[in-house]
Amino acid sequence: MNFDFSEKELSLAAKVKDLFGPDSRDFLVRGESRDLQQTRDSLLQWMKLLAQTGYLDLGLLEGKNSVALVATRENLAALAPSLFLALEVSTRLFGRLVAVYGTSDQKAAFLPAVQDGQLIGAVGLSETGMNIESSLATLAVPTGHDFLVSGSKGHVVNAPVADWVAVAGKTNDRLAFFLVKGESEGLSIGPRLSTPGYEGVAISPLSLQNGPVSSGMCLGPFEDDEPLRKARSWQDDILAAAGLGLMRRALDCASEYARGHKSGGKPIIAYQEIAFKLAEMLTLLQTAQLLAYRAAWMAETGDPEAELLGHCAKVFCTESAERVTSASMQVLGQHGYLRGHPAEEGFRNAKYLQIAGTSTEISRVKIGDGVLGRS
Amino acid sequence: MEFSFTPEQRMFKEQVIRFARKEIAPRSPDHDLRGEFDFQSFRKLGEFGILGLHFPEALGGGGADVVTTVLAGEALGEAGVDGGLTLAYGAHTFLCADTIFCHGTEAQRERFIPKLASGEWIGCMGMTEPGAGSDVASITTRAEKRGERYVLNGNKMFITNGPMADVAVVYAKTEKDLKHAGMSAFIVEKGTPGFSAGRNLIKMGVRSSHTSELIFEDCEIPAENLIGQEGAGFFMAMQTVEWDRSALLAPFIGGMTYILKKCVDYSRQRVQFGRPIGEFQAIKHKLADIKIFIEAARSLCYRIAWCKDQGRPLNHLEAAVAKLFLGDWSLAPANDAVVLFGGYGYCHEYEVERYFRDSRLAPIGGGTSEIQKRIISKLLQWA
Repeated sequence: MNFDFSEKELSLAAKVKDLFGPDSRDFLVRGESRDLQQTRDSLLQWMKLLAQTGYLDLGLLEGKNSVALVATRENLAALAPSLFLALEVSTRLFGRLVAVYGTSDQKAAFLPAVQDGQLIGAVGLSETGMNIESSLATLAVPTGHDFLVSGSKGHVVNAPVADWVAVAGKTNDRLAFFLVKGESEGLSIGPRLSTPGYEGVAISPLSLQNGPVSSGMCLGPFEDDEPLRKARSWQDDILAAAGLGLMRRALDCASEYARGHKSGGKPIIAYQEIAFKLAEMLTLLQTAQLLAYRAAWMAETGDPEAELLGHCAKVFCTESAERVTSASMQVLGQHGYLRGHPAEEGFRNAKYLQIAGTSTEISRVKIGDGVLGRS
Repeated sequence: MEFSFTPEQRMFKEQVIRFARKEIAPRSPDHDLRGEFDFQSFRKLGEFGILGLHFPEALGGGGADVVTTVLAGEALGEAGVDGGLTLAYGAHTFLCADTIFCHGTEAQRERFIPKLASGEWIGCMGMTEPGAGSDVASITTRAEKRGERYVLNGNKMFITNGPMADVAVVYAKTEKDLKHAGMSAFIVEKGTPGFSAGRNLIKMGVRSSHTSELIFEDCEIPAENLIGQEGAGFFMAMQTVEWDRSALLAPFIGGMTYILKKCVDYSRQRVQFGRPIGEFQAIKHKLADIKIFIEAARSLCYRIAWCKDQGRPLNHLEAAVAKLFLGDWSLAPANDAVVLFGGYGYCHEYEVERYFRDSRLAPIGGGTSEIQKRIISKLLQWA
């Protein structure tokens, strides 16, 4: 047992934080642009900067999650929520799929670019009408050495700006991920979707109509659906860490405001209606942190309850994020309600975290099944 | 950062669970129902070594670290021991004996710790008064020095183990005009003239622990019964907070694990609409929320214990966060468990009802949730 971060963990988190000076604000605002080229350029620019800290290597080299990763993620998610989500999907979802399930040729072809921040990846998992038991309607027909892939995916993070997309599908009833270039025959990327939160992230539907994929660009086919479950749990880890970041940011700005803003001659933090809200926010944040750290540690050590704890962390971190960001707006009054304020932005973002990945409802069903010994 | 227990710690926890399941837990429902203290079980806790687990072996203790001590508390809850007995153990070991151990003289330690560790004597602690709860420095019990003796006058309220305690650690003002700096701690033994306990208060939960007023009427004690220095009482009381926020809370977490197991068993065997109710999502939702609470609470509790093992001064922020979360966030899952059992959950025969009542103490005892929020927000204000 050890509740301290190691020197290595602390120094990585500090390095990431140091990248974000006062100048970075403009840069980040441009990243929130609706213009796809600007979104892409900004993402690549930040990924290259972050690559120098070693942050992009985490979870790729050993294919494992770690407490260091969660802590550093929380930092980045607090500083730049949209950048965080886009970068994590590229690195820790697309990159990790290749790192864990790719052949040595595939790793050599993709991983250096992912680690250097020169490649934007996306992953198409969910489909309209897909049920939780992982039946995929995307099908790949083998044609000698290649496949012709057809299917459509609903809301794919990074799809409009990605260099490569990993599309989950079935071939001969077995799961595989097909690596498709961003602009390639048979692939059509739908219009960028307009969302209330994470406005800086480019999300769109995509579809493949007899898209040719060479067998060298196929991860799998696999014996079972385990890689799909893994990908979903990695996605959930990202969303839980995003929740920690939103909470930190919302608490920080609310506390700072409450210390400085005066009412009746006293800073409003001196009033229990305000002070106790802040106390509850901090309690949720610290509890969520420890739960997420422990879930990551269990995943890393191969604990048999790791998957269950991952679901617990996802539910707790993302639901708490909504509560904390909401309370933050309440403390900040009209200031926090203004468009662009971190509190209102966090509030809008928090909803996404409960919907995306394994939804809160499905997570609870899985936890329930887990404790009933049915999973 | 890593969250593992040592093989010895894991093994010890299993031993405590086995022991408590066999020797203690079967007696819990009856003692809770009748509101009777279980002297036999308390002595057995002493014989097994739990009452003095963290004291040195030379004083009759087990020489265990804090994490192991917290694990033992969690194990008692997990075995199904009622909150009344675990509360009695907590007040005895951490609020009474540990204060004497940490701040007492060699003579005081040798006189009291072995007998408290074995369970031969029962201890209690008196701080709260009828008119002074959260605002501890407003206590009015006086200790006046007269020659080689102190004379105590005043009343203490809601004292766990009060009616049967052989030894009481009592906080009183030696300087009535000073607030915190005027508080001192004393040892008062049963049978001292002028010292008596009120009637056992009938409580909603933790019923097998006895709770009463302590009454001091010109109660004379020898000057050597002062613990530490005059004026150091508040500091000592604050030190026990480390235990309040770890070992005293651990049985609640273990109890929730026990209740989850009961809920799982019931969800599997109770059939409605032609299928076990565990197949309904609304039931899984409740099981999930109980599980999430347990997992979220555990790390908070062990963080305090681990830091104490490292010899660090108490981090008041982390301690208050642990207490606030354990207290306030345990109510909904405890309620879920009752609802899951339906009408049976409202009956005494099903232990979820007892746990529901017992856990209601968590946001009240040892510093209310509001006091925790006050501590956290003060620290945020000065941050």
